Amino acid sequence: MTMTTQPPLPASVQLPTIASPSAAFPWRWIGVIAAIAILCYLPVVLDQRAIFGFRLSNLQLLNIGLTQVNLTLIAILGALSLNYLTGCAGLISIGHGAFYAVGAIAAAVTGTQWGWPFPLVLVAAGAAGAFAGVIAGLPSLRVRGLYFVLSTLALHFIVVYLLAEYQYKFFDVVGIPFNEARIGPVVLDSGLRWYFFLLPVVVVVYMCLRNTMHSREGRALMAMRDHELAATAAGIDVRILRLKAFAFSSAIAAVAGALYAYFMSNVAAEFFSINFAVQFIAMIIIGGMGSLAGSVVGAAIWLLLPAVISGFATHAGGSSGVIGQFLLNSKPQLVNLVFGLLVVVLLIFAPGGVAGLGTQFRKRLSSWRSTVWK
Amino acid sequence: MMAQILFSGLALGSIYGLVALGFAVIFKATGVFNFAQGMLVVVGAYLAVTGSTQLGLPFPMAVVFIVLAAALLGAVIHALLIRPLAGRPLLPVIMITIALAIVLRAMIELIYGPQARALTTPLPTGSFLVGGVRISELHLTAALVSWACMAGVGAFFKFTSMGLLMRATADSHEAALVSGINVNRINALAWAIGCVLAAIGGVFLGQLQVATVELENIGLLALPAVVIGGLQSIPGAIVGGLLVGLIEQFGSGYISPKARDILIYAPLLMILMVRPWGLFGQRELGRV
Repeated sequence: MTMTTQPPLPASVQLPTIASPSAAFPWRWIGVIAAIAILCYLPVVLDQRAIFGFRLSNLQLLNIGLTQVNLTLIAILGALSLNYLTGCAGLISIGHGAFYAVGAIAAAVTGTQWGWPFPLVLVAAGAAGAFAGVIAGLPSLRVRGLYFVLSTLALHFIVVYLLAEYQYKFFDVVGIPFNEARIGPVVLDSGLRWYFFLLPVVVVVYMCLRNTMHSREGRALMAMRDHELAATAAGIDVRILRLKAFAFSSAIAAVAGALYAYFMSNVAAEFFSINFAVQFIAMIIIGGMGSLAGSVVGAAIWLLLPAVISGFATHAGGSSGVIGQFLLNSKPQLVNLVFGLLVVVLLIFAPGGVAGLGTQFRKRLSSWRSTVWK
Repeated sequence: MMAQILFSGLALGSIYGLVALGFAVIFKATGVFNFAQGMLVVVGAYLAVTGSTQLGLPFPMAVVFIVLAAALLGAVIHALLIRPLAGRPLLPVIMITIALAIVLRAMIELIYGPQARALTTPLPTGSFLVGGVRISELHLTAALVSWACMAGVGAFFKFTSMGLLMRATADSHEAALVSGINVNRINALAWAIGCVLAAIGGVFLGQLQVATVELENIGLLALPAVVIGGLQSIPGAIVGGLLVGLIEQFGSGYISPKARDILIYAPLLMILMVRPWGLFGQRELGRV
């Protein structure tokens, strides 16, 4: 049966607004070019620990290193894919770390054992992730809400168990080793090279997800999230849509897992604990549900803030006595405490996360402007 | 070997059932799926460390201290975290319990240090033989106390007027409000009961092993227990706990200790697919 009419748009979809005359000057493009310039120069600053020849101290760089930035880029992929699934399609998954593990397993089998080249390994990881996603999405055809959350939790434990069995069978306790990542003649062996490989990947994935969300498919997803029955009545096959969303999201997460495995060059099953999976939920809650830009911010906060906090704790530890010693000795606990409280405060006072705060601020600003300039 | 495993499975299962019961009480009253239940078990173990080792209280006083502190913690959690989120969707509520677990873990490690603590109480620790089965007195005490607590909670719900109010509130918040029940106080009480039950479980688990934040993983076994039993059902939580204990012990006895998680979570997935409302739960009907 073919659809002849478009399904009605749900209330949450914003129609594109007609550009105002003041937008004729290409501010937008200047912004984009500036962003590209900053993103290209930033890793050089972090790599040489200097800006335009001026040396910067660790504290001035907020204790952030290039490795941390690369890990953030990989985590952004995970946060984006989870936000697509949870924020846009309304499917809550606690076992998102499991797809990372699937990607790592696929990379270990194809890359380490069969010796496939790195780009092919990434494709294989994506395919394995999509397949695992369809399997993981199957319970969503039958159960809803809380029960579905639990089925993803069960999936997490099962996948991690399989990874552990695989690891102990073919490798040893230390973990699964990975070859160096090689694309054609280029070997990704330095932080800078990884950065300039990961950044385009993140940008491409981001644009893909953004375009999907503004397409017919994305609108159908959001309709399904907001009112499943209404979406069904409008002619959307929610079952297929769910599985598709799951496959898409988990393929991205699996690629991120494979990238992660290659970046770390050694991965053990213990690493994919339930806390690992939970951090992606925390990222999208900090960033803002359903906002792709928010997931980027959330991932950045989640991975970069610990370095900042522990940098300041070390600094304070060097300066004062008992309190400084205490800060120095319990850095990981302090980081966890700050993060837990941050999530709690955001959940209670700013349910839209950082992205929601940004929208609020912009609204305030424009209303202030209109009152002042009238 | 079989009888031995059966005994330890039932004993551990009783503790899991107790923790799961606390979980089910919270879920029934406030509809919150509490991922922090595992951490509340750890809190119980460390409260016991404080009460009996650090403060040096006599054992009955230490028990009173643990129960009061856990109840207070439950009421505080409800007032600070759960009440502000009333009426919000599923994910924020789940996430706030996860964040609560992170915060509790960090605070415990800040206060007590990251190392495990030995926990000693005057409970009997010997063992005796019955028909070739070695019965550990601590396991036996844990099981008996757990059953006594479960019976106490059951009697509280069935025979006291407060229990009646709680059941009414769990049935329908609106109807309870209209009848003049202070729903917030009832929900706070449910959280207090849930915390106390988890803490009692933690005291025994901490003593059977050591007091460490890693007990959280054992406490979290309450989750599959309640789901297998049926989320809304009080007897279901107890039976689910026993089943999880038995599966765990038989699994590690006959297959391998590593297989524990998959042996518990694979049936969970199966039950979710076939009978999502659990063994004892009520089928939920969707309405438009």
